Amino acid sequence: MGAVTYPNEKVVELIEKDMVPIQVLYDSQPLASKFNVQWTPTVITLDKEGKEHNRTVGFLAPEEFIPSLMLGVAKCHFDREKFSKAIEMLEEVLKDYPKSDSAPEALYLRGVALYKSTHKADPLKEAYKRLLAEYPSSEWTKRAQPYKLL
Amino acid sequence: MAKTIKWEKDFDRVLTLARAENKMVLLDFFNPL
Repeated sequence: MGAVTYPNEKVVELIEKDMVPIQVLYDSQPLASKFNVQWTPTVITLDKEGKEHNRTVGFLAPEEFIPSLMLGVAKCHFDREKFSKAIEMLEEVLKDYPKSDSAPEALYLRGVALYKSTHKADPLKEAYKRLLAEYPSSEWTKRAQPYKLL
Repeated sequence: MAKTIKWEKDFDRVLTLARAENKMVLLDFFNPL
């Protein structure tokens, strides 16, 4: 991560814009125990109160790390019921990184965020249709399968 | 000169900054080996 991903210009820009970065040794206490870190690299997205919303374990190249971070930021907004901000970030993932491993989850979560903000089932059905069409082998397509019955 | 990430080291300071700047926190656990 330190040699390839963190020096990447787009990674630096995204972190500077949306996040406060902290880097600690894998066995740094009390943080390693508090966040139950067992392997490195472990990258965790927290909200400003220190609550965890997303984590990745293992190396990610910039083209996967950036959408993963964006997904983490979106999850922070989602978990705090700031659905419009979450949707905005998820749509950026889908627009800029549609081939990333984070994209199917972003599409799923976008559907849920739209549902929670409108209380209409259509976004869930639409999420499943798009997942089936665009990411047929994704686990998120399987998770969305019940929405076809809505 | 290329920009680099300005890593913080103190968790409490990071939370203070995140609240003041209304940002999320990226917490990276690394192994230098």
